[in-house]
Amino acid sequence: MSKYLDLSLKEIHELLKKGEITPTILVNECFEKIENSNLNAFINTYKDYALLEAKKLEEMNVPDDILFGIPIAIKDNIMVKDMKCTCASRMLDNFVSIYDAGCIDYIKDHHMIIVGKTNMDEFAMGSTSETSYYGAPHNPWNYNKTTGGSSGGSAAVVSIGIVPLALGSDTGGSVRQPSSFCGIVGMKPTYGRISRHGLVAYGSSLDQVGVMSRNVYENAILLNAISHLDKRDLTSFDTDIDFTREIDKPLENFKVAIPSFFISDIIDPEVKEKIMNIKKILEDNKIQVDIVDIKYIDKTAILYQIIAMGEASSNLARFDGIKYGYSYPNPASLDDLYKKTRRYGFGEEVKRRIMVGSYLLSGENAKIYYNKALEIRDDLKKNFLDAFKKYDLIIGPTAARCAYDLGMNQNDPLKGFMDDILVMHANMGGFPSLSMPIGLNRENLPIGLQIIGNLYKEDTIYQLASFIEKKVKFDSKKVRNGI
Amino acid sequence: MLTKEEVMHVADLARIEITEEELQKYQKDLKILLDEVDKIKDIDDFDDEKMFSPTDNTFDLERKNISVTNENVLLNVPKKMGNFVEAPVMINE
Amino acid sequence: MEYRKTIGIEVHCELKTKEKIFSPSLSNYGSIANTNANIIDMAYPGVLPQFNSEVLSFAIKACHVLNLNITKKMHFDRKNYFYADNPKNFQITQNETPIGTNGYVEIDINGKKKKIEILEMHIEEDTCKSVHSDKYSLLDYNRAGVPLIEIVTKPCMESALEAVKYLEKLRELLLYAGVSDCKIEEGSMRCDTNVSISKTNELGTKIEVKNIGSISNVGEAINYEAKRQEEILEKGEKLREETRRFDDKTRTTILMRVKETGNDYRYFPEPDIPYVNLTDDFIHDAINELSRMPDERRKDYEKSGILPINIEKIIANKEISDYLENFLDINLVIASNLLLGDIQSYLNKNNLKIEDTKLTHQKFRDLVNKLDKKEINNKIFKDILIDIMETSKDIDDIICDKGLNVSFDDNLLNSIIDNVLSNNEKIISDYKNGNTRSAKALMGLIMKEGKGKIDPSAANEKLMEKLNSL
Repeated sequence: MSKYLDLSLKEIHELLKKGEITPTILVNECFEKIENSNLNAFINTYKDYALLEAKKLEEMNVPDDILFGIPIAIKDNIMVKDMKCTCASRMLDNFVSIYDAGCIDYIKDHHMIIVGKTNMDEFAMGSTSETSYYGAPHNPWNYNKTTGGSSGGSAAVVSIGIVPLALGSDTGGSVRQPSSFCGIVGMKPTYGRISRHGLVAYGSSLDQVGVMSRNVYENAILLNAISHLDKRDLTSFDTDIDFTREIDKPLENFKVAIPSFFISDIIDPEVKEKIMNIKKILEDNKIQVDIVDIKYIDKTAILYQIIAMGEASSNLARFDGIKYGYSYPNPASLDDLYKKTRRYGFGEEVKRRIMVGSYLLSGENAKIYYNKALEIRDDLKKNFLDAFKKYDLIIGPTAARCAYDLGMNQNDPLKGFMDDILVMHANMGGFPSLSMPIGLNRENLPIGLQIIGNLYKEDTIYQLASFIEKKVKFDSKKVRNGI
Repeated sequence: MLTKEEVMHVADLARIEITEEELQKYQKDLKILLDEVDKIKDIDDFDDEKMFSPTDNTFDLERKNISVTNENVLLNVPKKMGNFVEAPVMINE
Repeated sequence: MEYRKTIGIEVHCELKTKEKIFSPSLSNYGSIANTNANIIDMAYPGVLPQFNSEVLSFAIKACHVLNLNITKKMHFDRKNYFYADNPKNFQITQNETPIGTNGYVEIDINGKKKKIEILEMHIEEDTCKSVHSDKYSLLDYNRAGVPLIEIVTKPCMESALEAVKYLEKLRELLLYAGVSDCKIEEGSMRCDTNVSISKTNELGTKIEVKNIGSISNVGEAINYEAKRQEEILEKGEKLREETRRFDDKTRTTILMRVKETGNDYRYFPEPDIPYVNLTDDFIHDAINELSRMPDERRKDYEKSGILPINIEKIIANKEISDYLENFLDINLVIASNLLLGDIQSYLNKNNLKIEDTKLTHQKFRDLVNKLDKKEINNKIFKDILIDIMETSKDIDDIICDKGLNVSFDDNLLNSIIDNVLSNNEKIISDYKNGNTRSAKALMGLIMKEGKGKIDPSAANEKLMEKLNSL
């Protein structure tokens, strides 16, 4: 089996330019890896389509674009025309997309080759990908461990080297937490950086498409490719910066904050140790690192649950058996169609969140819970903005612990939220945030560092991330010997 | 804790059918989730400005809508009659 | 003691923007079912609302003519409820920040003015159109997302007459603001009314009557409803809050549903649409596009001497009134008579609009002026009407070509009259002897001589002048 996909994008690009390899060779290698893996990381793959696309590219001159011909995996809640988009739900098991998401327009413009749609938590609700109608994906570092979630499939396929790049979505950590568990780089950019057109909504004011890669530089390259103003999304903004521009520039007068909450007792000691190690590396390089307190940072999970479940209850109301998707046959009435379609079409976690969300918005509750959450959310964002007046970046662990055993979270409705307790802040305030691997624990499971930046400051995040990447020299290839 | 009637009411609002057995489980699960979000009641000392979206965008008063596809919109419809989408009889109107 | 009625009215009007509010589909639901429906209208997973800013300018115009305060910073809200005609199972509307608040419409009740207070006006989206059989309902998403404004009055009307006058006035204002067709029969204007009765200062139980098919039916529904409620109260029974509909056939109201304890719409701010900040410039630009409102036009019509009955006919036909706006400097009586009379019949007969004909503004102006100056008479006008409407020739050419242009020469008129007078001395002496009928005989001879081509009133005037100076 060829191993071209293990090379860096720059190296692959050189070989394509020289004509030593073709996109077809890359696609075949990718599908060989898919066929030899048992991670349950894809929901649907599209080999015929991918080979056809590869063939088309072979009739073109290779342009100066290192994304040209690169296979990519897409989370199954992002629309790709003529491919199924299941959201890992029975509700959309047979749903065929008739349009491309905003970000997919650019994936196609860059002649990347979409090989499949990845496994995830049903409608992105969860942090282990176990709520998938198709069963959970497995962590390449340890088959019995969770990939994390909800973008677990995307994290797994990048980690194992099936594809160099993948797209995920991040509502409360769903790109960064599985990236951390699978030892890859995952970025949730500033809210509005990537169009949400074609991303199936979970919590509209929190959702953002995210990019997943093996290293920091390639992450920035993919973000460059897919962030554009899209007038089909009123929260999308114009973006014309090169996210690689600060990489390798000296970190002069850099100031970094670690919120005390991020190194409190809730953090696994091994994880905390690795974070403190990063602190030391930074300080050794004359970067000021302060431990700070940010008000409401420990209350975010409460706000997050109220807002995410409230919005979800409304966003998922459209799945009613009338226009598309699963439809309960021969209902006794309109109401019967609704209730049975949603009973059999949705899984437990989704139903629970929709019900809680409906309750939180119902009658007077809207004031007591939802509006209050929006008010405190505004304060929380301001507190982060204040911190960014003094500090370039905020860092901490991505997750309080490493990947754990599959099945551990079942029967605990709260666990799904508690895994994301360190990553939700970025979604609440719209801030960009990246997770990168900084080492392994004793069980050989990756540990992730989270870097949160001020709004629109992805380039600064990549600058520090690239610096740390060079210092810690995380060996991501270690995992691939398992194939 | 929500009463069984309240859980039924919520399920009804969400248009999700639940059985008698499920009712018990949901009552328990919802209690766990609601006990958590109830902690919001203990938070005070915040200002009353609301943030319903993190976007800094201001609305463009000159904006024009961008085309999206209307081809094949009936492709995924479970029940059709001619060019219409079919639903069970609507009442109330 | 009599029961007093208290009436509040909610009106939904479709705004006639080119495109829908949150999607670029054409806002034209008359087409074949589901052909003006895209992925946004069908609430496909992953779609987001866009926003057609034309809606804002239409809504501002409506606010202006209804004297509403305009909310400059506003947002949209989701109203969550499941129904087959509601594609997302939530409707995007304005709950917290309606675009217009605290306005009024002035009506005239038997010469007395009354201000009907409007609580608020908000923007929202229309639902699917549905048709029903007893086995299924069929949905057409062409109407889903057509922009609506909802106008809500305070419970401030006291009679069916006031309600009818309010609706007529509201319809007229929105029509003249150019924001809606306001066709109740076609559903572009929909009226729901709340009626309660009470003998005390406290309001009685509110009963809603929905989807009434015409303005006069609203009046009828209110009176029926008040009487029905009174009978129930007189029996010592209690009323419950309910929603009813007016039945066209039986002319009664029929129960639709008893109101649950408040509908639980689970409103929350729509996160996919950022705050809308209306600038003063944007507001002024919208208002400046408004044409003159009916009451202002009525004043001009009155001043020009148009009969009251005709004034109302003109106002009721906005096309005619708009046409007249171009000719306020000429004889409006003649202009309006032409438009309401022969021109209107010509248009109706041929199923045309004025702009489909060859009648240019210049031609119409010429025509009215010639009639005004009596250069042509009504008979000639009738003779040349078809040529005016169907050829590009100007009026003078048409008259000339038809050989109708000789009779308006004063000299010719003089010579005809002089000729008749000199040949009919007997009749003249009869006239001098007090036989007034003799003048008529002379006129007859003059008209005969003029072969119907002379203006009778001019001839009569001239004849009398000459007779009396003999």
